[in-house]
Amino acid sequence: MKNRFIILSLSAGVILFSACQKNDSVAPALNAVTYTNLPADPPSGGYNPTNGQAIGVTNKFTFFSFATGAIVANTDSATTKWDLGFRGTTIIVNGGTSGPGNAAAQVVTGIFENLTTAPNSGFGQDNSRSASAPYAIPTGSGNGWYNYDPASNLITPIAGRVIMVKTSGGEYAKMEILSYYKNTVMPTTPTLTPNDRYYTFRYVYQPSGTKLQ
Amino acid sequence: MKKVSILIFILGLTRLWAQDSLQTKKLEEVVVTATRNDHPVASLPMPVSIVSKSQIQTMGSLRLNNVLTEQTGLVIVPQVNGVGNGLQMQGFDPDYTLILVDGEPLIGRFTGSLDLSRITVGNIKQIEIVKGPSSSLYGSDALAGVVNIITDGAAARGGTFSARYGTFNTTNFNADMGTKEKKWSSFVSFNRYGTDGYSMGASTNKIVSPFTNNTLSGKFSAKLSPSTLLKFSGRWFEENQQQNFLVNAGVNQMLRTIGQGKIKDWNMIGTLVQRVSSRLKATARFYSTRYSTQTSLNIQPADTLYYHDDFAQGFTRPELVVEYFANSKNIFTAGAGAVFESVQTSRYGDESPRHQQTDYSFLQHEWLPQEKFHLITGARWDRNSIYGSQLSPKISALWQVNEAVSLKASYGLGFKAPDFRQLYLNFNNTAAGGYSVLGTEIVEQRIRQLQAQGQIGSLFYNLDQLGKLEAERSRALNVGGKVLLNKKWWADVNIFRNDIDNLIETQIVANTVASQNIYSYRNLKRVFTQGLELNVTYAVTRYVSAQAGYQLLYAKDKDVMANIESGGVYSYYRDPVTLETKRLTISEYFGLSNRSRHTGNFKLFYKNPNSGWEASLRTIYRGKYGAGSLQGNVQGISIPPSDRNNNGILDVYDNFVKGYLLFNFSVAKTFKDKFRVQAGVDNLLNYTDPMYIPNLPGRQLYLSLAYSFRAIPHER
Repeated sequence: MKNRFIILSLSAGVILFSACQKNDSVAPALNAVTYTNLPADPPSGGYNPTNGQAIGVTNKFTFFSFATGAIVANTDSATTKWDLGFRGTTIIVNGGTSGPGNAAAQVVTGIFENLTTAPNSGFGQDNSRSASAPYAIPTGSGNGWYNYDPASNLITPIAGRVIMVKTSGGEYAKMEILSYYKNTVMPTTPTLTPNDRYYTFRYVYQPSGTKLQ
Repeated sequence: MKKVSILIFILGLTRLWAQDSLQTKKLEEVVVTATRNDHPVASLPMPVSIVSKSQIQTMGSLRLNNVLTEQTGLVIVPQVNGVGNGLQMQGFDPDYTLILVDGEPLIGRFTGSLDLSRITVGNIKQIEIVKGPSSSLYGSDALAGVVNIITDGAAARGGTFSARYGTFNTTNFNADMGTKEKKWSSFVSFNRYGTDGYSMGASTNKIVSPFTNNTLSGKFSAKLSPSTLLKFSGRWFEENQQQNFLVNAGVNQMLRTIGQGKIKDWNMIGTLVQRVSSRLKATARFYSTRYSTQTSLNIQPADTLYYHDDFAQGFTRPELVVEYFANSKNIFTAGAGAVFESVQTSRYGDESPRHQQTDYSFLQHEWLPQEKFHLITGARWDRNSIYGSQLSPKISALWQVNEAVSLKASYGLGFKAPDFRQLYLNFNNTAAGGYSVLGTEIVEQRIRQLQAQGQIGSLFYNLDQLGKLEAERSRALNVGGKVLLNKKWWADVNIFRNDIDNLIETQIVANTVASQNIYSYRNLKRVFTQGLELNVTYAVTRYVSAQAGYQLLYAKDKDVMANIESGGVYSYYRDPVTLETKRLTISEYFGLSNRSRHTGNFKLFYKNPNSGWEASLRTIYRGKYGAGSLQGNVQGISIPPSDRNNNGILDVYDNFVKGYLLFNFSVAKTFKDKFRVQAGVDNLLNYTDPMYIPNLPGRQLYLSLAYSFRAIPHER
């Protein structure tokens, strides 16, 4: 009854991004880019209704590079070509125990537009040996970027949570996750053929310096 | 698709002799709940209201929830699993109102709230509703207030039979018989209620499964001597539910599960009242009750077990109360007792019985220095074997300013003990992404076991910090008054504020190496509820009265408010269309879910004792409210919570459950003081909201007949 189907037209994103790279040397006015439907190991066979286990998953991360604004092939997992990796609700950084790079991240609270400078400190890398903080971007409901509602099984990105990223190339980016569902359409009733594990996020990448606007 | 709107016969209930008229008797009605002594309602310094038997009959109500839903400031809300009928008072969840029958508590809150539809109103003399904390007299659970159901006793030789039939094949039979002799009296009543239940929306599964229940209750009292009274009463209840659900078991795979749900409930009360002298009265009471419920569902046709659940609770309480009437201006009441409680259930991981004991004593002083002033002070001390001690004081005052105006104010503390679930739950969801919920009495031991097995990933609290659960506490102020504008108009107003601390919430206390969360219970939340209640009565003519009621309510989480003000995580929301994050201000925070800011009612009653005709039209309004994440989860069909902008709180931009208006109508005629015919329709406009309000069925029609074989008037 209260379904709200949200359809976003985001085709201009990548074009805008490459356009601004050319103007880089002059006073750079960075544009926020929205990336739609990054698949984060979606279950091709849905979910097992009795134990909730995902069916038909690869258990592989989908890698993303802010510098290129595109997905990096999984075969490049052992390179520094990627910055973040997505699998389900878990996001890894290319650094620490997760990858060979020196990428780092932290989750901050604020309005995306108003966070105009990358923080000096507070970045962390993944550390699978740490029991309390194995990921720079914390997992678990309410801890990092999302809330999980056990009654409806829905994942919602927490409003006001922004992920600050130090990329593999040593540059800065900020990103805000907008949706965890394909085409940003959140299901209103639980379904066995879900459309979850598709990230839509917007980001600003600064190829030189710490200004994020 | 719901509703078969065929009018049907019935047979109604009713006792023909209860013919007091609404508008005249209100002020003289006597209430016992507020002070444990009999008092005219108008003399009490706290907000008290009464629903009389005659009003219940005119309304054509069958179960307790039908009666309470029409009272100002009371809202009937589903339990956390979306079904059932609990009572919300002054913005408190159902767990925070004490429900008494003849002064003794009902038990069986296995999901937190009591299902009010368990209680037939066929044998009720009156219902007393006291708002504001009454822990100073009753101990735990009386934070929001107390509802005391006073059952009928024999006032004469006589009896009544009634029968009723209505929509959903709902049948109700009542029979009672009593005798009153010089030195003793006895009264027996029997009720049988059955219904086919109903389903709603697209689902063929019934929201209320077909069930029948039987209630047998009896009372006996004897004057052993001019100064000694012995009373004995008992109640026996059983319900059988026929459950039949189609459950989703996989892609294109549905399972038929069939089984029975059973509830059994009995209690007995023995009372000995001894008038020691003209000034001293002693009452010894012994109360024992037991509640059990059990559900088993088998997959058909394979006949293998799909689901099993059982729960049994016991409660026994001896108590001694002494009243001392020192003089015309001072009354002292003192009491002491002990409560022995036990619970045994499959829900807590094993079936081992759990016990706790509470010892208590209380003292109350009533001071009436002059006719125009009434001051009550009191306090109660509870000592529990698990959660420790509580002191609950209360002070209330009434000032009769003049003939037309009286003012009252009361301030008191209330508390609610941690329930058995919060202490002993041992729930493990072993599926991938699973989690555990552990009660505070077992959490330390279980985590130590898991630590020894090397399964604990991280622990967010020291083990000795866990496992210490305190009672939830409230401080409450009620200020109000009554104004008699003239003989035809009067108004009651009450302004309330409740500050509740130490609310118990689940919190992640540890996780496993497999990243599964372990939850336990902790005293975390602070909330407040505040508002205003207004009742206006207008005696239109001798036979017609009109009543209007309204409640304004604000119920908010103080920690959420502090978080918004400090720019924390709740101070943002995501526009659901543009997905942009924006700033949320404190004024845009709506408050706790499931609370309507505005509720109200408007009722018209007609009663003509000469002609025997009576009629009523009652309108109940519930304003918009937010659905919490666990609300309305009916048989696996979960519903979207109100929060649609990703901040986890209810704000003005969220989806609200729409406000609604219900109309109930009834008409009755009494012949020769012996026969009564009543017809009525509840939810006249057939308002339904299957997703969010599953406990509200569509239009229901009924017809009832009653016969009383001796029409000797009851004493009132």
